[in-house]
Amino acid sequence: MKFFLTFFVSILMLAILCGCNVDQPTDVSTSSTPIDSTGALSGGDTTILSESSHAFSTPAPNLSDAALEKHLDGDLEFEAIFVTAPAEVNPGLGPIYNNITCINCHVRDGRGKPPTVDEKFVSMLFRLSLPNGENGETGQSPIPVPPIPVPGFGTQLNNRAIYGTPSEGTVIIEYSEQTLTTADGTRIHLRYPDYTITDTYKPIPENVEVSPRVAPVVFGLGLLEAIPEETILTYADQEDVNGDGISGKPNYVWDVVEKRYKLGRFGWKANQPNLLQQVAAAYHDDMGLTTSLFPLENSHGQSQLKQTPTSPEVSDEVLDVVTFYVQTLAVPARRNVNDPQVMHGEQLFAQAQCADCHIPTLRTGVLPGVPSVSNQTIHAFTDMLLHDMGHDLADNRPDFRASGSEWRTPPLWGIGLVRTVNGHTNFLHDGRARDLMEAILWHGGEAEKSRQMTLQMTTVERDALIAFLESL
Amino acid sequence: MKLYKITIVFCCLIITSALIVGCKGNNKDDVGDGDDTEVSEAYDASGILNHYANNVVYAIYSDLDTEAGVLLDAVKVLQEDTSQSNLEAAQEAWVAARIPWERSEAFLFGPVDTQGLDPALDSWPVDRVSLQKVLDGNDEITTDYVKNELEDTQKGFHTIEYLLFREGDKRQVSDMTDRELEYLLASTMNLKDSTAQLANAWAPNGGNFVNTIVSAGEGNSVYRSQSAALQELVEGMITIADEVANGKISDPFNEEDTTLVESQFSFNSIADFQDNIRGIQAVYTGNFRSDGSGLDEFVSNKNSELDTRFKTEVQAAIDAIGAIPNPFRDAITNDRPAVQAAIDAVGTVHISLQQDIFTLIGESKFK
Repeated sequence: MKFFLTFFVSILMLAILCGCNVDQPTDVSTSSTPIDSTGALSGGDTTILSESSHAFSTPAPNLSDAALEKHLDGDLEFEAIFVTAPAEVNPGLGPIYNNITCINCHVRDGRGKPPTVDEKFVSMLFRLSLPNGENGETGQSPIPVPPIPVPGFGTQLNNRAIYGTPSEGTVIIEYSEQTLTTADGTRIHLRYPDYTITDTYKPIPENVEVSPRVAPVVFGLGLLEAIPEETILTYADQEDVNGDGISGKPNYVWDVVEKRYKLGRFGWKANQPNLLQQVAAAYHDDMGLTTSLFPLENSHGQSQLKQTPTSPEVSDEVLDVVTFYVQTLAVPARRNVNDPQVMHGEQLFAQAQCADCHIPTLRTGVLPGVPSVSNQTIHAFTDMLLHDMGHDLADNRPDFRASGSEWRTPPLWGIGLVRTVNGHTNFLHDGRARDLMEAILWHGGEAEKSRQMTLQMTTVERDALIAFLESL
Repeated sequence: MKLYKITIVFCCLIITSALIVGCKGNNKDDVGDGDDTEVSEAYDASGILNHYANNVVYAIYSDLDTEAGVLLDAVKVLQEDTSQSNLEAAQEAWVAARIPWERSEAFLFGPVDTQGLDPALDSWPVDRVSLQKVLDGNDEITTDYVKNELEDTQKGFHTIEYLLFREGDKRQVSDMTDRELEYLLASTMNLKDSTAQLANAWAPNGGNFVNTIVSAGEGNSVYRSQSAALQELVEGMITIADEVANGKISDPFNEEDTTLVESQFSFNSIADFQDNIRGIQAVYTGNFRSDGSGLDEFVSNKNSELDTRFKTEVQAAIDAIGAIPNPFRDAITNDRPAVQAAIDAVGTVHISLQQDIFTLIGESKFK
């Protein structure tokens, strides 16, 4: 089986490389060009070709039979719906939570969004903290400072609760529109969100820091986990020594298993060191489910909690298979890589210095126990580092070393398939951007120069830039 | 969302082929090359996609909404006149409404997913602790209350099932409390709202997701080619075949665990499974509201032997499931050969879809 897979994937690479470009020789059998020179295989050997709603939710094609079985076990657990204890199946929900199953936020393993006027919060939540006094006016902290929990609320607003228990409260979102005009006179509207916490079960401090977050896509994560720390640090330039206006700062966050600070990789502010802890934190923070990593309920010390479970509500075995599941989802290949408009957009992406943070190509190292993601050449379009994105995008909630205006460069792979998979095109950490161009124009801070260059582009150029992003 | 590895292998193969084949067609050098006659002829799947979207998907969702309406009417009548015969009418209406829902599981993509309707309609397990607390409490149980205050695990088909049936037996009307009747009415109204939303999301005069399928191709931001839409169509069938063979039937069978059985309060499992496969049958043949262009038209054009064989396999799977003695929850222990035969028969459908039909689409060029 493995042989055939490798064989097919190789042919596939060659086909992409040689197949559709009429300007180049198309003799597949004698091509000696390095494979995948067009960068279509975004996830290396974990890449699939899909343009359907399954683009994010398919197992990596290079899994062994045993690994596939483990992945599918994880798939079932990812879809498991939890209910109020006691119950025969999946007890232990809450008592306070944001959702009842992984898949309801990460719909089809895809991207969440803010609710529309008539909708409830489904795939968006709010992190909370109190000012930590360490970050000063700039919000910059030289040492990692974990978010300070808000008494009675912790570090996340749980807007739902089991029957008969008060939730912590909810949030009202209001948008106001502002208009930008490009150099060639095109008007682009941006919606500025305003978040108000309301209906709290007890008064919440005035100085609470609130950070909205939508659920990110969960495919390709094992590859990101497998990028060597040295590689990521190569791109770090905290003091901007090279003077390009772009810093690139690693976050260092608490590893609850190793009990020390480690490089942050996952989450909108890179506040989780690895996927095991990311998954356990999601069970804990989002669903109120305890694990060996987080044995206390998210409502610990609050009036909602009537009884602390004596053993973890989610077993180590389940944690293991769910972690493996998100490590081994396939990455969809790029489409239309040889389309002239797309190629033009790719050039503009580099010229506008987008590619300085959204690094097109990285090489993974070895992720122990997950050979399918090890030693792969990938096109995630991230440097995994924090960057100041300016005042307008700031959440003003520091997270370990991340300041209130710093965010981790999010990967862009698959971004052109979000509409197909999730039926919307809301981007950025809180989904405020309603399409890709709005998302670009929200970039400030270190990306201000890129934003200005985009505003200077002609309509033809901006369309090409979007065509490139949609090919990812 | 599981598609087995074999899918991926063939996916790679077929898309590889598609690229090579497709690009040959685009290559100026190939103009006039007689060897490429077959691969250069692009198949126009617009008739298949049109019939699929209108006369299968939208038609089944319309039926679902109609049957949910019949169920709601029956529950209202029961509310007015709490008689055993009216309760039985409601129970029969629930079973009838399951038929279009289970058939629709052959296309669980689009609005049913992106609008959160699948969780609202069909979440499992039922949160019985919370449900009981609602029944024991004093909250006024209205449609808005069910919609806004209760979780998906306290509404939808299986909550209604739990109120109408118990352990496979139809409940006696004398056992039903006023609070249960109120909950039943409010949750059925909520169900009807969800089915209406779903049907409207596809309706040509509503959300018109029908057109998203029909207009697959250049300029369509969801399905940029007919091939992409056909991939979605076949993956929908693959997903449910996989789910029935390797999940719905196998999980309780392998574990001999009745808590894992679908529709366990009504003992409707076997009908559920059969309707899942009938959903595949409707998608494949196009025969539902009216006979028309199904995927079979394309398959038989390319490989008539495969078309004939697959149709036989689908019918065999429906028959094998039907041969399991009711109730399914007992059969997983007492009639294991019959259950195993059904797993095998559905597994055959699953493999043919993946290995043969999905591959055939990947190898072919579409307009």
